[in-house]
Amino acid sequence: MIFKKKRPAKQKPAGKKPLVSRKEFLGIAGATGAAALVTQLITTGPLSPEAIKGIGERTHGAEDGKSKHKWSMAIDLSSCIGCQYCVWTCQATNDVPDDDMRWNIGFPEKTETGSDFFMTRPCLHCEEAPCVKVCPVGATWIRADGIVAMDYNRCIGCRYCEVACPYDVRRFNWKPSTAKNNYQPTWGSPEIERRARGVVEKCTFCNQRIDRGIEFGLTPGIDREATPACVNICPVNARVFGDLNDPESPISIFLAENDTFRLREDFGTEPKVHYVRPEKENA
Amino acid sequence: MLKLDISIPKEGRQRVWWIWIGVLGLLLAVGLFGAIRVLVKGLQVTGLSDQVPWGLWITQDLSSIATGAGAFTFSAIVYLFRIKKYRPIARAAVFVGFLGYSSAMLSLAMDIGRPDRFWHPLVFWNVHSVLWEITWCVILYSTVLILEFLPILFENSYFDRWPKLRVYGGMIHKAAPIFAGIGLGLSLLHQSSLGATYGVLSGRAIWYKPSLPVMFILSAVAGGISMTLLLTVLVSKLTGRQIITEELRSDISRLAGFALLAYLYLKLWDWAATSYYSHSPGATQALALLQTTTPYTRTFWWIEIVIGGILPALILFTDRFRKNDRYLLFALAAIVVGVTVNRWNVTLSGLVAPPHWSPGVLGRIISAPYLPTWNEIIVSLGIIAYALLTFSFGVRYLPIFPRKDEPSH
Repeated sequence: MIFKKKRPAKQKPAGKKPLVSRKEFLGIAGATGAAALVTQLITTGPLSPEAIKGIGERTHGAEDGKSKHKWSMAIDLSSCIGCQYCVWTCQATNDVPDDDMRWNIGFPEKTETGSDFFMTRPCLHCEEAPCVKVCPVGATWIRADGIVAMDYNRCIGCRYCEVACPYDVRRFNWKPSTAKNNYQPTWGSPEIERRARGVVEKCTFCNQRIDRGIEFGLTPGIDREATPACVNICPVNARVFGDLNDPESPISIFLAENDTFRLREDFGTEPKVHYVRPEKENA
Repeated sequence: MLKLDISIPKEGRQRVWWIWIGVLGLLLAVGLFGAIRVLVKGLQVTGLSDQVPWGLWITQDLSSIATGAGAFTFSAIVYLFRIKKYRPIARAAVFVGFLGYSSAMLSLAMDIGRPDRFWHPLVFWNVHSVLWEITWCVILYSTVLILEFLPILFENSYFDRWPKLRVYGGMIHKAAPIFAGIGLGLSLLHQSSLGATYGVLSGRAIWYKPSLPVMFILSAVAGGISMTLLLTVLVSKLTGRQIITEELRSDISRLAGFALLAYLYLKLWDWAATSYYSHSPGATQALALLQTTTPYTRTFWWIEIVIGGILPALILFTDRFRKNDRYLLFALAAIVVGVTVNRWNVTLSGLVAPPHWSPGVLGRIISAPYLPTWNEIIVSLGIIAYALLTFSFGVRYLPIFPRKDEPSH
């Protein structure tokens, strides 16, 4: 009905120009729309100065960009019993529902002499991290306290860091992470937000616990609230954490007392995770 | 038979043209569907994984840029070194280069997880990253290619209505030597850096070598010249008109041959130094793994070396073969295929045979599989269709090839 009424209005008398032709109207509407969109983008949208500044800022675990700490971990493969608690608590704490995306992986292994052991591997937080060198946008960096951090808002998802990391540490969000996390609440509660589709993620040494703990005057490696979840949960204390710059720290004492090695030192990556061999000599 | 006669008879030309355009248009539409599916569903629709995060699209990106290298090569030869005899092919080279680089950007836009953040490398700098340098160079060089191409575009009769544009076009054309110089610098940088993308990774023994950047630029020059000449000769044969003289064709073929020889020479020593005269545990282990689980060794020796290297070199340096249309077309196509397979082999070899980092022994024999999914393949075909479509329209409606010696219709 409405169409019928409107139709005659379209038949304009020949030679008489409307105030605004259809072409002009479309042009004006398009330009207005585009202007509004651009304005939105650069004032409050993803291209606004605030949004860009937010992505541009890097945390260093210290306000002035300097830190007196150097966080490090040791994993004693000779005492590990392969319970996988560290794997599961990491998934709960850092909210990684998908088993294929584990930040801290664990798997059965065999030594050259044939004895079984259980291998676990968090991010090694290399001093010469190849992933940090290659990132084209600086979305990953080494904090002043040694942690290899990630900015999920800056990452473009090119996955060069995954290609560069020789330890298979990094995980890409191939699909949106919407699954229920079955490790919660048994193995811990989520302490950080889930990551969006299309960005890379990785183990952070639970920097949320470290940073918050230091704010409250706690000592990571000693006070449980400030220590990575995987270290806390280990029933046999196979994981040790602390500050390399502090000689009294559990890690410094452990490294002084034990014969340790790091994974593939020949890569020149200088990892900050140390291991004790699965079979102790003369054992 | 010396001359190949595949020219399309005049009366059937319109039909053949529309079939060709129709097929490409269909491929483009299917590719577009694939691209939308990728954007909606994310990269889970690919065969990629955390162990093999790069695959078909990165190979396409690298190959498109490599085979687009004819643009900087001929621009430099003609406008910078002023070797005038190559001028008749300079425009085609710029056009093919532009298509290569735009194809590369399309495949990259598909490959990154957050295409909405494509501008991040421009705002957030990491000068230590070769990929950051590549991003800048590719964006700047694509701008150079567009500028070099604009004067050609403005010559189309559609632009008759804006005569001013031709004046600007003429001004840009006058600055051709400057653009050629900038283009040469940018290309030498990023064509090599694309090899360095792999060459700097100390954790992957099969990649970690200073020869990769140099092999990438040499193969790009050989592949770029070949792609430009291949398309020129094909158009010439299909339309039945002589675009470049026999002599120039012969000279350009030899030029491609020299670039190919330089590449092969370095490749020989790269192989000899890393795999024959010395022993690197990491590389040996990776090669053994590749040999047992993939066709890597066969494709390396047969496609990269024999079909894509030695055979075309023999053809291009033998007068009798070089002047034979069939042999020449085969040689040029073989070089392009060889370079493309090389980019695939380089990308996949370091990923499929990952370094072994566990102190145990169980993981030593495990390789990471990768096979592109249909979605990846249709997107790739769609991008190729885009390039061929644009090339076809360009050849038909723009003065890409010189027309003065054209026989009257």
